[in-house]
Amino acid sequence: MNKIEIRNLVFHYTAGEPILNDISLAFDARSTAIIGQNGAGKTTFVKLLKGLLKPVGGDVVINGINTSDATVAALARHIGLVFQNPNDQIFKNKVLDEVMFGPLNIGQSQDEARERADAALAMVGLAGRINDNPYDLSLSERKLISIASIVAMNTEIIIFDEPTIAQDFSGKEHIKAIIRDLVAQGKLVLTIIHDMDFVAETFERTLVFAQGRVLLDGSTREVFAEEEVLRQAHLEPPHVTQLAHRTGLPGTPLTVEEFVREKRAQGAMRPVTP
Amino acid sequence: MKALSLYQDNGTLIHRVDPISKLLYIAAAIFIPVVLTGFTAGLAMLGLSLMLLVLARVLRKVVPLIGFSMLVLISVVIIQGLFYAGNRQVMFALGGVHFYREGLLFSAAICVRVLNILCAFALLVLTTRPSDLIESLVRQGLSPHFGYVLSSVLQIIPQMTGTMETITDAQRSRGMETEGSLMVRLRAFLPLIGPVVMNSLVSTRERSLALEVRAFSSRAQKTFLNEERVSTSNRVIKIVLLAAMAAAVAWRVVS
Ligand SMILES: Nc1ncnc2c1ncn2[C@@H]1O[C@H](COP(=O)(O)OP(=O)(O)OP(=O)(O)O)[C@@H](O)[C@H]1O
Ligand SMILES: [Mg+2]
Repeated sequence: MNKIEIRNLVFHYTAGEPILNDISLAFDARSTAIIGQNGAGKTTFVKLLKGLLKPVGGDVVINGINTSDATVAALARHIGLVFQNPNDQIFKNKVLDEVMFGPLNIGQSQDEARERADAALAMVGLAGRINDNPYDLSLSERKLISIASIVAMNTEIIIFDEPTIAQDFSGKEHIKAIIRDLVAQGKLVLTIIHDMDFVAETFERTLVFAQGRVLLDGSTREVFAEEEVLRQAHLEPPHVTQLAHRTGLPGTPLTVEEFVREKRAQGAMRPVTP
Repeated sequence: MKALSLYQDNGTLIHRVDPISKLLYIAAAIFIPVVLTGFTAGLAMLGLSLMLLVLARVLRKVVPLIGFSMLVLISVVIIQGLFYAGNRQVMFALGGVHFYREGLLFSAAICVRVLNILCAFALLVLTTRPSDLIESLVRQGLSPHFGYVLSSVLQIIPQMTGTMETITDAQRSRGMETEGSLMVRLRAFLPLIGPVVMNSLVSTRERSLALEVRAFSSRAQKTFLNEERVSTSNRVIKIVLLAAMAAAVAWRVVS
């Protein structure tokens, strides 16, 4: 069974201004990136998956449960969402309380919740800050706490909305490691993200949203090969992929390593034409 | 950001009249019927207000306001019709209960007055953006600090309900039951208070910093972002309103 099934999903905030038009999709176990221009409806889409918004038309089915028939709290044990803005999510005065709030609510024991919270905080590199007040931390640290507090819930499906905002290189590497770890545990990871290099390095499948529709859906390599269609959605392939095209390299390398390997295979590097 | 406001952005002629003229109109709508006792003036003023509301295409928004005040007004009519101290002449009887002419007239006068005030205020509130009103008042000499307090009061309630919604979303996203019976909702509501207050304190501090870095408490003469719209028509409106009030007083003195 697919973990998420979406059938003819239609949504608008105000009648007459459609945000999502007739989307049908299924999510299997592949880690998936959702990309698209600002305002394309990505956040709205994941809030519908989470049950925070209910469809105007069509169905969203999470682990066999139709979101229209369940409360958000009941869905919370199946699907976790890290909010785009950590300030929308954090409300406790102590980091540890914040991270343990979800696990305790969905029925983990005190010990299990504590264990998972400690593990999640260690994963994001904030194990030493458990007694701090989240309001005293920086935006990037708050974002990492909001990630830890969802990871600690140990749900089968985890959605990240812009996990890399305000992160430096090591923050991004932490997040990449977390996503890979979750995938290795067999969880379904969906991520909304604007950083194409990150997408190329981390996700198997990519969806392109534009004007309330799914413009492209395929393996990340297939999607980034469609430069023309991407341009329609006002997106660009990752930097290495662009470099490969400009230097006349065939195929669609997604990482620096792949690029270098292709180049080596091709023989000596030709001079770059401007 | 949304603000606590009934403003309808219809862009009609009435919307372009400056807020001070509208304030003056409220004054006239209250003042003239009081000076010229009797029904005609009050009804005429009410008629005028309704006409202006139609012109501004906001009559539909006034109907619920009138409907709500009607509930109160009808009880006034009944009580005064039955028990007004000056009741002498029976007007009609309903199931053995007598309604008196004096009481009914008295309560009718109250109704006209209330509706009058209501419609005049509605005209201001529905066709003026609160920030425009405050800006005109500041231009007229209201202290900018007080003006700021006024506009933040208009914003703080929607902002707090906004914060409540976000925090509720954050809580139910993490498995806290917030929908259902009264008991469930109450249990979900109580833990909200702390974070909501905390959040508003934090945002107050940030806002005061943001204001200070933009020299809010500087004593220099302030200029305004929007140019003042001085048009002859606005001046004419004000003169007409003042003249009408003066005429009412003169009429009262003479007759
Ligand atoms: N609560 C709301 N009420 C009304 N309209 C909204 C609301 N939230 C979002 N919108 C509108 O819905 C559209 C899609 O917004 P959404 O936040 O889903 O975009 P997004 O793809 O997540 O963009 P971004 O990349 O900037 O995060 C936008 O036009 C936005 O203005
Ligand atoms: Mg978004």
